[in-house]
Amino acid sequence: MSSSLSFCLSVTLNPTMSEKMFIIGNEALGRAARAAGARAFYGYPITPTSEVAHYWAKQACSEKGVKDKLVFLQAEDETGAGFMLIGGVLAGTRSFTATAGPGHVLMQDAFAMAEAMRVPVVAYINQRGGPSTSTVIYSQQEVNLACYGGNGNGYRVVYSLATLQEMYDYGIKVFNTAWKYRFPTFLLGDGYLGKMMGEVEVYAPEERGIKMEPTEAYMLERNRTRPMAEIMPEPNYQLRSVDGVDYDCYRNCLNMEEQAMAVNTEIKAAFDLVAPEIIEYEEYGDQDADDLIVAHGIVSAAAKVAIDDLAKRGVKSRLFRPITLRPFPVEELRRAAKTAERIIVPESADNQLARIIKDALCGHIQAPIVEYGRPCASILPREIADLVTSKK
Amino acid sequence: MSEPFKIIICGEGGQGALSVAEIVARAAWMHGKKAVCMPYFSTEKRGGVSMAYAQIGDEPIVYPKFSEADLWVALSQRSVDRIHSYLKPDTKCIVNSFLVKDVSTLEGHEVHEIDATRIAKEELKKPRTFNMIVMGAMLRLIPGLDKAAFSEALERQFKDKYERDPSLREMNQKGFDVGYELIK
Amino acid sequence: MNDQDIKLAFPKCARLASKPHKFCPGCGHPEVLKALGFAIDELGLQKKTAFGVDIGCSLLAWNYFNLDSIETHHGRTIPTMVGFKKANPDAICVAYVGDGGAYAIGAGHFLNAAIRNENITVIVVNNAVYAMTGGQEAPTTLPGMKVATAPCGADQYYMHAPELVRNVNPTAFVARGITTIQVGLRKMIKEAIQHQLDGKGFSFVEVLSQCPLNWKTMDKPQATFDFLEKEMAKTYPVKYY
Repeated sequence: MSSSLSFCLSVTLNPTMSEKMFIIGNEALGRAARAAGARAFYGYPITPTSEVAHYWAKQACSEKGVKDKLVFLQAEDETGAGFMLIGGVLAGTRSFTATAGPGHVLMQDAFAMAEAMRVPVVAYINQRGGPSTSTVIYSQQEVNLACYGGNGNGYRVVYSLATLQEMYDYGIKVFNTAWKYRFPTFLLGDGYLGKMMGEVEVYAPEERGIKMEPTEAYMLERNRTRPMAEIMPEPNYQLRSVDGVDYDCYRNCLNMEEQAMAVNTEIKAAFDLVAPEIIEYEEYGDQDADDLIVAHGIVSAAAKVAIDDLAKRGVKSRLFRPITLRPFPVEELRRAAKTAERIIVPESADNQLARIIKDALCGHIQAPIVEYGRPCASILPREIADLVTSKK
Repeated sequence: MSEPFKIIICGEGGQGALSVAEIVARAAWMHGKKAVCMPYFSTEKRGGVSMAYAQIGDEPIVYPKFSEADLWVALSQRSVDRIHSYLKPDTKCIVNSFLVKDVSTLEGHEVHEIDATRIAKEELKKPRTFNMIVMGAMLRLIPGLDKAAFSEALERQFKDKYERDPSLREMNQKGFDVGYELIK
Repeated sequence: MNDQDIKLAFPKCARLASKPHKFCPGCGHPEVLKALGFAIDELGLQKKTAFGVDIGCSLLAWNYFNLDSIETHHGRTIPTMVGFKKANPDAICVAYVGDGGAYAIGAGHFLNAAIRNENITVIVVNNAVYAMTGGQEAPTTLPGMKVATAPCGADQYYMHAPELVRNVNPTAFVARGITTIQVGLRKMIKEAIQHQLDGKGFSFVEVLSQCPLNWKTMDKPQATFDFLEKEMAKTYPVKYY
C-alpha cells in the first residue's frame, strides 16, 4: 500500500498534493479525515473498518502526526469510544470514529446523546452482516440504526456512499456538515467499499475550493464567536457568568416531560430548517423511463451498470439515488416517482430503505412498489436488470 | 463500453490469493487501465478458504463483484468447489495441480494445470515463489497487460521488503518468469 | 447565618444561587462536593476545570458549581473526560461518578481508564446502594444488607475498587476517603488533582458517603454514622493505596 504521500493542513505549504492512488476504501477514509484537518480518532477495531484505525494510528505516531498533535485512542469498547468522541468534540477538536455492525449498535448510546446536545460527532460506518455478529462482509442493514438508532427521533445526517472516490470526497465533507449544522453526521459505507481497492484521487480541500468549517469548543472556550444558546436546546444549557468569566454547562437529564419535549421540538426545528440545504440525491438514466429504480449506496452503483446495460438492449430505466438518507430527499423523490409506472427498490436488507420510501410516497403515487430485499447479500447489476425486464 | 475482464482467484488461507488479486489489479492500474479488486473476506482469518475478485478494463469499474469470470484460478481442491459457480462456457481456468487432483468438474473449459507448489519447492527451492509462479501463468491469459507493468507493480507491492532484502527481487522475478513460461 | 457567613462556608467555585442544594437531607454528596470545590479553589483551577457528572444522585452536582460542566449517564462520564483531556491536555478533567456508574454499568470504562493511566481525576461516591433509582443493589452493597433488589439480603460479594486500581496501575494516585473526615478528604482530592496537574496519569478517590434515605436511617443520625464509620469503613478501609 502506498504511503509516500504526507498531508499538509495548510495549502501554502503543499499546494499540489492532488494524486491518484490505488488504495482500499478504508485508507481513503483515513486520508480524507487527515486532509479535512481532523485531529482526533477514538475507536475500537472491528471488521470491516479496522484499517481506518490502522491508518490513523500510524499517522498519529509519525513525525508529522506528533507535530500536528494528532490523537489516536483505542477505547475499551465502542460505548467508550463514542463518549470519548463526544469529549473530543466538546473540547473543540474535529474528531471522528469508524465502526460497524455490533460496534455501531453500542455507539448509538453516545450518538443519541450527541443528537440531544447538538454535538457534531463524525462516524464512518461500514455496514456488515446482521443481526448481531453475523458476517463481517457486507449488508445494507444498518440504515435503520444509522438514521434512527438510539432513543431519539433521528436528528442526524447520514450520507450513503456508492463509490471509492466518494469515500474520500464525503470523508472530507462530513466534517463540514457536522460542524456547520451541529448534528451528528455519519458516512454509511459497507464492507465492500471499505475493503475494495481501486483508484482514488486524493487532494487537499483547498485545491477544490473547499473551505473547512471552523470548530469551537463547547467547554472551556474563552473566545466564543457563536453563542451556545443559539445551538443548544434551551433546557440542556446554562451559561453561568461570574466575575467576567462564562462557564458553559450542559446536561441532558431533565426532570419534566415538558422539558424533554422542548428539547426534541427545538432539535427538530433546527433540523428541519437546514434539511433542504443538506439533502443530496442523484438521478441517472433515461428520465422518460417508466421504471424507476430507487437504491442507495453500492447497490445504486450496481443499478447504474444495469441501466447502461439495459439501454444497450433498448430498455429504458432510471435511478433515483438518495445520497442523504437523513434528511431524506422526500420532495425530490415524490417528483421523480410521479411519472413512474413502477418503482423498484433493490436493497441488501429487508424493508429498510423501502420503509423510508413508502413513508415518503404514501398517498402521493399510484404506481406499485416492487421490493427486492436481499438481506446481507450483494445485488449484482444483472439482478437489477432482470427486475426491470421482468413482467409488470 | 467494453466489458471489464473479470478474474476470480481462490485458495487456502495463507496461499496468497488476496495478494495475487491485489498485485494483478495494481499492475493493470499502473499500466493505465482501470482496475478494482476486492477480497471476499470472512471471519475465518486462519484455516479457511480465501477468495478475491479482480476486474480490469478501460472504463471506470464501480461494482466490485460479478457472477461470471473470464479467468478462474483455483489453488486448492476446496477452492474448485467454492468458486465453481463463477464458470461460464468460455472461462479460462488455472489450477494448482499439486493440490487440485480432480478437475472433472471443469470439463469443457480451457484448463491449465500448473504444479506451482512443486516448482516453487523443488525447482526454485523457495516455497514463497508460489504466488509469483501463479501470477506469471495468469499474465498469459490477461489481455492487454505485459511483463513490464507487472514488474513495476511488484516493485511497488514489495518496496519495503526489497529494501530490506534485495535478493527477494531476483527470487520473485525468477518465479514470475518460470510461471510465465508454463502457459504458451 | 448572613450572606457573608454562607459565602465563607462554601468554596469560591460553588454556585451559591443553587443553594440550598437539591440533595436529600443528610446526604453525603454535598460534603464530597465541598471538598472538591475547596481543592479546586486552593489549586486555582476554576477556569481550567472541565467537570463531568454522571447520572444518579451525582448528576445533582451539575448545579453545584460555577465550572464548565457536562452531564452524561452510566459511567460514560469517564470516557467523555478521557476524550476531552486527549483533545485539550491543558484542561483539568474531573469525572464525578457514583458506585453504580463507575463499578457496574461503566466498570469497563473505569477500569480501562485506570489501566491506560489516563491523565484524569475520577471521584467515585460509594454509598453502598443505587440511591437515585430507589435503593437497588450496587457492587458495593455490603453482604446481608437489605435493599430493593435484594430484599432478603445482598450476596457476599463486593467491589474493592481502590485495591483493584492499584493492582492494574502501580503509579496511579489511589485513595479512599470518607465524608466524616473533611480535612482529610479535601487533602486527598487536592492531591489527586495535583497528580493530574503534574501529568502523572490516573488519579482516583473513592469516597464513603452516607445515604440516610435508602439506608432507612433518616430519623436516626447516629445509626447513619454508625453504619458509615463502623460498617462501611470496616469493609472499605479509609486510606491511601
